[in-house]
Amino acid sequence: MKKQSVTNIRIFFEGAILSYRALFRWLRPATYIASKILAPLTMMIFFVFIGTYASGSNDASFYVIGNALIFAASSGIFGVTMSIGGERWSGTLPYLFGSPANRLAIFTGRASMHILDGMLGVFIGLGWGVLLFGLDLSQTHLIPLLLTILVTTYSTSGLGLLMGCVGLITRNVMLVNNTVYFLMLLFSGANIRLESLPKWMQVVSKYIPLTRGIASTRLIIAGAGINEIFPLLMEEFLIGFVFTLLGFFLFSTFEKRAKKLGTLEIF
Amino acid sequence: MVKRIKDNLRIIGMSFEIELRQNLMDGFVLFGIVIQPLIVAFMALWMLKDKGPDFAIFIVVGSAMTGLWTTLLFNGGNSIRGERWAGTLEPLVGAPGSLRIVVFGKVLANVTQSLLSMIGCYTLISLIMGYPLTLSRPILFFISILLTVFSFVSFGVIIASLFILIPDFQRLQNTLEFPVYILCGFLFPIALLPGWTTPISIILSPYWAARALHGSAQGTLEINQIFISWGLLIIFSAIYIVGSGALYRLVLKRARVDATLNTTG
Repeated sequence: MKKQSVTNIRIFFEGAILSYRALFRWLRPATYIASKILAPLTMMIFFVFIGTYASGSNDASFYVIGNALIFAASSGIFGVTMSIGGERWSGTLPYLFGSPANRLAIFTGRASMHILDGMLGVFIGLGWGVLLFGLDLSQTHLIPLLLTILVTTYSTSGLGLLMGCVGLITRNVMLVNNTVYFLMLLFSGANIRLESLPKWMQVVSKYIPLTRGIASTRLIIAGAGINEIFPLLMEEFLIGFVFTLLGFFLFSTFEKRAKKLGTLEIF
Repeated sequence: MVKRIKDNLRIIGMSFEIELRQNLMDGFVLFGIVIQPLIVAFMALWMLKDKGPDFAIFIVVGSAMTGLWTTLLFNGGNSIRGERWAGTLEPLVGAPGSLRIVVFGKVLANVTQSLLSMIGCYTLISLIMGYPLTLSRPILFFISILLTVFSFVSFGVIIASLFILIPDFQRLQNTLEFPVYILCGFLFPIALLPGWTTPISIILSPYWAARALHGSAQGTLEINQIFISWGLLIIFSAIYIVGSGALYRLVLKRARVDATLNTTG
């Protein structure tokens, strides 16, 4: 039992590190910097300018915070999806499903590095906000902010795990990824105040990751403490957990069906 | 001379058709042409709705231009790289037809199909969301669209060669998407940006395309101002085309001298 647990933990961390390295090691640092730092920055600038143009105000904090948290979704959705879905493209899926390794350790391990990477991304986003748009962090409590960013990157990675499984059964993984990512921009309240959206969109926004993470971060930066944001964080965590479970269920179902029907590499 | 023109037009037609057929199988094209512009249009509409109902046409045009640029960047920009990955670059370079003409046809196909994003945004905002959409100067607007297609194709031809010549430039592809939205004033005036960015905007033909389209759609520009935008759009597009001639000669020279035709960058 103990040996089994040690093996599972080893698989979790090996899978985490190897899948992360596999995603970036063949690229130059320029690609990493372009994809993870500069591209989200340019998107932030675009929406901040539209937002400030719309409001006629110089206060960009609403848009800066919303778009900084989108950095988490960038890692959670694109990184995690490609770590799972990429197994099929690189031809390693049969080996993975042929191994006796614990499936939950394999599956969840794929997200862990991207959670750390996403957290780094959010800090970079907030840093850009301070440097370029004068985001005021003087009222911010650091620990609740850290916790919020951790939970938010976890929940978006949960969605990424689910989308990664979708990537195992579709040819158009980039279409799916990008659509989900842009829908998150729309529904999460990153750029539009949720209360101004149509009712049905407000309902959808309650059931996706990121919405509460963004709300919580805005409260913390305005000076709120852990007690005020705790319910939001719990709900955000729960949503991430549900998406992870759904993803694992899909992953297991896919493995069983693919083995039974011989469709492991059929798109 | 006439025969050469006829041959080039036939090559453009063939590569246009093949590119369109291939794109039908590519889900990402659907994203660039339909999904992203519609989501951007919806967000922009919601963010800018306090600017009044007249602003809806500005959003239709601006959002559609984001679709044009995204498709141009990701599909048009990879026109040569795509051939390289498919293993068809050698026969293409070995054929007597000009590589630049082939790429022109491919980029033309990408830009033309991207015009669907304008129809999509128009449908969303007018028919589904019920905003009144009227074109202040319809004839000038449609001429502006034709010139916009020309300017985007010229821009795409030069980008496709740069992606091959400078691999690091291609690696920054994801980063190039939003800066053009920003610098070309697709959804907000460039006057909001710091002054040092204005010279960059001015040398980008999509900026003049956006200016002409917005100005003729909303009626915010005088006719002579629209003519000036057209003129500058044509001048910069012509510069891109002339410049691309030299770049394509360099691509072919490098490929033949360095034997790097099939080497992925």
